Amino acid sequence: MKLPKIRELIEAIKALIVGPYTTKFPKKPHTPYKSFRGQPLFNEEYCVGCLACEQVCPAEAIDHKDIKTGKTAKRIIYHYTDTCIFCGECEAACIAEHKGIKLSNEWDLAFFDRSKAFETIERELVLCEICGSIIAAKKHILWIVEKIGELSFSNPTLYQTRLKELGLIDDNLVASIKDNARDDRIKILCAHCRRQTTLTTKNSRTGG
Amino acid sequence: MKKTIIPIGPYHPLQEEPEFFMLTVEGETVVDVDVQLGYNHRGIEKLSELKTFDQATFVIERICGICSTSHPFAYTQAVEDIGGVEVPMRAKYIRTIIAEGERIHSHMLWLGLAGHFLGYNTVYMWVWKLREEILDVMEIISGNRNNYAMFKPGGVRRDINPEDIPLVMKKIDKIVPTLKMLYKAVRDDPVIHARTKKIGILTKEESINFSALGPTSRASGVARDVRKDTEYGAYLEMDWDMIVTHNGDVFDKVVVRILEMLESIKIIKYCLLHLPDGEIDVKIKNIPPGEGIGTHEAPRGETFHYVRSDGSNSPVRHKVRAPTFMNLPTYKATIKGEKIADASIILAAIDPCYCCTERMSIRNTKGERLFDGKELIRLSQAKTQKVKQKLGVKESSLEKLVQGKL
Repeated sequence: MKLPKIRELIEAIKALIVGPYTTKFPKKPHTPYKSFRGQPLFNEEYCVGCLACEQVCPAEAIDHKDIKTGKTAKRIIYHYTDTCIFCGECEAACIAEHKGIKLSNEWDLAFFDRSKAFETIERELVLCEICGSIIAAKKHILWIVEKIGELSFSNPTLYQTRLKELGLIDDNLVASIKDNARDDRIKILCAHCRRQTTLTTKNSRTGG
Repeated sequence: MKKTIIPIGPYHPLQEEPEFFMLTVEGETVVDVDVQLGYNHRGIEKLSELKTFDQATFVIERICGICSTSHPFAYTQAVEDIGGVEVPMRAKYIRTIIAEGERIHSHMLWLGLAGHFLGYNTVYMWVWKLREEILDVMEIISGNRNNYAMFKPGGVRRDINPEDIPLVMKKIDKIVPTLKMLYKAVRDDPVIHARTKKIGILTKEESINFSALGPTSRASGVARDVRKDTEYGAYLEMDWDMIVTHNGDVFDKVVVRILEMLESIKIIKYCLLHLPDGEIDVKIKNIPPGEGIGTHEAPRGETFHYVRSDGSNSPVRHKVRAPTFMNLPTYKATIKGEKIADASIILAAIDPCYCCTERMSIRNTKGERLFDGKELIRLSQAKTQKVKQKLGVKESSLEKLVQGKL
């Protein structure tokens, strides 16, 4: 009877000396472990706007809106902090070396207004020159060009976007080339219009 | 004879999970128990059928906050069963580490609450303090204290960083002496003996008849453990003991759980020291049409998942059976003939969840006296005080001081 009590007393004294496990949080800031899964953050430099993260998100916390204004368009990708479950699937699926969206160590995510609990990233979109529909984010097309190298010259949408980005395409110059045969093919086109131009000569100035 | 029922629950701001228990009492003896389930139906199975195989793991993980590894473990095995996928050895080891870590923190949570129900709030505080260490370990390995998001069909999502292993080992080693102390304290303490021995006995025959699972059945002498019986994870790679005791009372259930924690620590340490190199997952190209089952020994017993695929990328049928579903009917055998003051610890003994003991009303056969969960815990704690006085155990001033500090 005596001995066991001593054993528990030792533990009690230890507890007295060590103190509680809880931290003095508001006074002392909390630093989580390095591996802690916190708020996913978009990276302005790496994100290509491909929406792979939206596809895989199990909680549907990532959403996007495409806004067209005249001849330009932009894509806004939203990440809703309130529905996010911090699983890290977006980071795992990110095509830009897993850097386009990355889990941070940020844990202090309290909001007063739930409707403001989101963050965004904007990406410029490339539009079809014939119908004006959205093809993809400009950075996404450039990313594909970079990945496939010279093979991109088999596809006018890819290489023209690339050349435009480099400032190597002059619109006047393109116009003069376009007077030659099949000018309809040498354009930035959406999948539907490309099929149309391949099968018919409806949009060609020389054909018909 | 007129009977009155005043229901407390199933929903109440103070209660955590909705379940409803009704005990019928004669004097102080419980003569019948009635369990009502189904208030917490969230349509998880249907939700999982709307997600892809990969996304469904995150829904499954949220079936239970404490078993957030057991369900994905069984589910991923069911999916791998359909596709005939062979998981890499490293992934199996990591899965085992996570599953055993969960068992430790789940048993600790239960042990703390059992202490609370018996009126040993020091045990409650100490064990929950100890539990923080294992939750930290889980955060180091997976990035979160709960909902680890580690499982995926074909492997695991995150690798264990070799730099973290020494810190993890240090934290796990810290737990062992305190756990051993607690085991000895439970074994030697006359008050715990008086409160838990020969209380709520589930005999071996009853355990088999009710198909009880996990520690509930192992405390009754049924040597059944999915980890030993089937080949999955890395459990057959190492040497560990299945804890089986034979009395089937509350005391044995406490002992089984404490010893199981020590076994789990053994398994985790072996896995961390012998972690094989290699890939942590295999890429599954497609899941063919077919059916698969997966089982895992969750902290409360065997959890069972059935998945049917039609060749598309999401399950067409997903069935989940959690261990508590099988363990709840054992109340019919254990609680009848016991005193009301023992009811809360008997109901807690199968580790149903915290909620269970806080969701009940008690009526006598005349339909008068009624208690709620809080009242029952108070009764149970008062009984411990009485037993202490009877045995002549006095609270020392130091104990009071410690309790005051904690």
